[in-house]
Amino acid sequence: MGTRGRRRDEDSQTRTLDRLDQVFNWAHENSLWPLFFGLSCCFIEEAATLTARYDMARFGAEVMRGSPRQSDLLIVSGTVFKKMAPVVFRLYEQMADPKWVISMGSCANSGGMYDVYSVVQGVDQIIPVDVYIPGCPPRPEALLEGILLLQKKIAARERPASPVLRREGGTEGSVGPILIDGLSKSRDTRGPGYEGVPKRGTSITPPLFPGSRSDLMWVPPAPRIRLSDADRSLLSAVAERFGDAVRQIPQTTDMPTLAVDAGSIRDVLSYLKNESKPAFERLDDLTAVDESARRRRHPECIEGPICNREVGFSDFTMVYHLLSYNSARRLRIKTALRGEKPSVPSITGIWPSANWYEREVYDMFGIGFEGHPDLRRILMPPDWEGHPLLKSYPYRATEMAPYTRFDAEAHRSLDAKYLVEGAERKDTILLNYGPQHLGTHGVIRFVLALRGELITDVGTDIGYHHRAAEKTGERQSWHQYIPYTDRVDYMNGVGNNLAYLNSVETLAGIKVPDRAKYIRVMLAEFFRINSHLIWVGTFLHDIGMMSLNFYAFREREQIMDIIEMITGGRLHPSWFRIGGVAADLPNGWKGAVEAFTSVFAARIREYEKLVNRNPIVKARTVGIGPLTSREAIDWGVTGPNLRASGVEWDLRRKTPYSAYESFDFDVPVQSAGDCYARYLVRVEEMRQSLRIIEQAARNMPPGRHITDEYRYTLPDKKDTLNDIDSLIHHFINVTRGPKMPVGEAYAAAEVSRGEQGYYLVSDGMNFPYRLRIRGPDFANLQVLPRTAIGRSISDFQAVLGSMDYIMPDCDR
Amino acid sequence: MESLPQSTAQLMSPWNPGVFALAVYTCAVIVMIALLLYITGHLGPRRENPIEESPYESGIPPTGSARFLYPVPFYLVATFFLVFDVEAVYIFSWAVAFRILSWIGWLQMSFFIIVLFLSLIYVWKKGGLDWGPEGGVGTRTRKPGL
Repeated sequence: MGTRGRRRDEDSQTRTLDRLDQVFNWAHENSLWPLFFGLSCCFIEEAATLTARYDMARFGAEVMRGSPRQSDLLIVSGTVFKKMAPVVFRLYEQMADPKWVISMGSCANSGGMYDVYSVVQGVDQIIPVDVYIPGCPPRPEALLEGILLLQKKIAARERPASPVLRREGGTEGSVGPILIDGLSKSRDTRGPGYEGVPKRGTSITPPLFPGSRSDLMWVPPAPRIRLSDADRSLLSAVAERFGDAVRQIPQTTDMPTLAVDAGSIRDVLSYLKNESKPAFERLDDLTAVDESARRRRHPECIEGPICNREVGFSDFTMVYHLLSYNSARRLRIKTALRGEKPSVPSITGIWPSANWYEREVYDMFGIGFEGHPDLRRILMPPDWEGHPLLKSYPYRATEMAPYTRFDAEAHRSLDAKYLVEGAERKDTILLNYGPQHLGTHGVIRFVLALRGELITDVGTDIGYHHRAAEKTGERQSWHQYIPYTDRVDYMNGVGNNLAYLNSVETLAGIKVPDRAKYIRVMLAEFFRINSHLIWVGTFLHDIGMMSLNFYAFREREQIMDIIEMITGGRLHPSWFRIGGVAADLPNGWKGAVEAFTSVFAARIREYEKLVNRNPIVKARTVGIGPLTSREAIDWGVTGPNLRASGVEWDLRRKTPYSAYESFDFDVPVQSAGDCYARYLVRVEEMRQSLRIIEQAARNMPPGRHITDEYRYTLPDKKDTLNDIDSLIHHFINVTRGPKMPVGEAYAAAEVSRGEQGYYLVSDGMNFPYRLRIRGPDFANLQVLPRTAIGRSISDFQAVLGSMDYIMPDCDR
Repeated sequence: MESLPQSTAQLMSPWNPGVFALAVYTCAVIVMIALLLYITGHLGPRRENPIEESPYESGIPPTGSARFLYPVPFYLVATFFLVFDVEAVYIFSWAVAFRILSWIGWLQMSFFIIVLFLSLIYVWKKGGLDWGPEGGVGTRTRKPGL
């Protein structure tokens, strides 16, 4: 045979390989098996893509697989957290070959709006990516487009026949390079090409903001509350009992505040909980403030004359927020601490719920707690260095060493045996339940100690979804922070907008017009229904009833359309503004709302028909995971979980905000405290929300959608086109951002999961000095999973499902 | 019409046990399995990866081995199932010979069933049917503390 014959031979071989390539590619592209994997907000849109309206099954990627062994497509939907990155890497490695990766949403693409210490700036730094889908979050259509693109990529670029036959050459699956931040990928947040241009002016560089022009602006002082007689008698009783150890802080905008010496903090809090009148039964929140970057401590940063230079700031301040159920009043206790690593007595003996809160303060500030039973990190990984909420800690991921594939391989979560008791027993098996698990509804890790199927202990490891929302608050202007609040609870973003704005408006004494209040209430209730719909669908799915999910998503999409019509967004509208909302209601809103309200009551009845007399649902939920009202109060449980335990407490009724006082609605309460009671409360709440929406639509007052006091707000666009005053405010508030008066405010809103409180500390700047989020799920998750101890593993899933927690709100 | 039973018999396939069909079937199974094993073993790229080879447990490296002391109730339930399943064998065979064995057989069988029934009640009372290693699920006091 000559060369000619050999060439003919090679030609025919190439042809055969080509044909094989086509066959393999056809098979690959039309049978993609996505892993059931989600990190944060984007996964909600991914889940919507599975349901009837978008019907992902049309494109050959039908069933999400529960195990990486059965999947070949990883859709990284959401933020890749540094604590979670080793898990993502591990999942990818455990998937079957050949495999593909779709990076869904801005966070997975590049870190998105989370350029913060806890977030990997793009999943392509740890695993190769085939398709990037932009959006925050991308709509379901965008995900479908991404899958189609991946199919095209497989058909056009891959040559799997050679690797399958173990020959040289050819490609299959992802081969894209793994990028290194700063080397093969631009680290500049402005995009490539800006090298040499200094980043971010000093006036917006935390923590000191040197030369900020906010110092030159004048704002009226923060409003001051008037103490009631009851407040005064409480304060005098405390003063009598503790003398000099307790002082009242005169200037407060939201609630009476006491400064207490660190040494007597335990006695004072114990007195307030058990003996005082009224008794403050609940520890609402416990946190700290790093005082080292206070404006008046750093006169060198202030441009212009410095008046009223105060000295004597402490180094840290501990802040305790208390709540009295009987009188619906709050009280703030502050304790000044000095030194670099100070410590303070632990109050876990007074409120068991203080356990996690004190661990968080230790994790974030390095403050010690004497007498704490288990003081170790809670949100950050166990081998993390530094305390992120210190003012001296880096604010951005791009200021830190890049996160690489090596880091993802080197770090791992704490071993399960450190998280539960009785791990050393021979008959005990430890089971990791999450962070990647279908039943955990978000990245949280439980460790179950099991004897057979009996749960003998439950350990909870949180922080996999720590998105540094509080640290971000210290470098975003008051307005810029609104989109971050949406993402604190991706099922109920509007509820968080409202909770945050409640605090801002309290701090500056901003009056919101009635129409804006009504619009806010209407949207907040839509989102409450939306959140409860997803909850009822997934909860019943968890205990084996699949059908309701499909009904729930049908109604959810109808609501999404209304939200989109009004705000232009779906999951995260970010549509509320300081002093009102972004725009007036569009033409035709009423028809869309009425189309929903006219059918939804019947839809709820339909759900109840499916569920309420279903013996299997009852057997799985009645008497499971009970929580008594005493325990619920002691552990700071809020929201429907609290009301299911027989405590009639709803902030919309007890301390009305945003016009809730003018709505007629009931607060559903159940006494059993078990999973079924939690179901009953939430279904009834949907009905009540429907009533509120109907009233809001019917009685929508005329008038402005945003306040005409433009000092703090983004003016109405048409005013800015007509008068120079509005235009100046528009200019200042859009670019530099409004300056807020010096002070602090805590206000809470009743969101779908419980009480969402925002504690804002202002140092008179265009950025918050400290922004603290009190989320309901941090408290709920501390106690509720433990109600499954002594029961079987299937009951654990029912308890988890019934709680309705969401991880960005717990880990923030 | 009187030949109905015969035509029914023709409708059913005749019972001709033969070795040939079985042999073909066995060969087909062996060839199929061998082919699948060969394909999975010899096609596709091979990569050594310790992470891929370790067990999947929600994305976390597992703690401890899977060879732990297995709780007794799993065996108990299996044993009870066997014991109470075997009784059915006796009862079925008795049903076939019901007329031959007459009332004496009936008396003996009734005695047998009553003894079994009493033992079932005994097992039930003793908690043998309760699920879980420590006297059944839900009997322990729960502790929502840390």
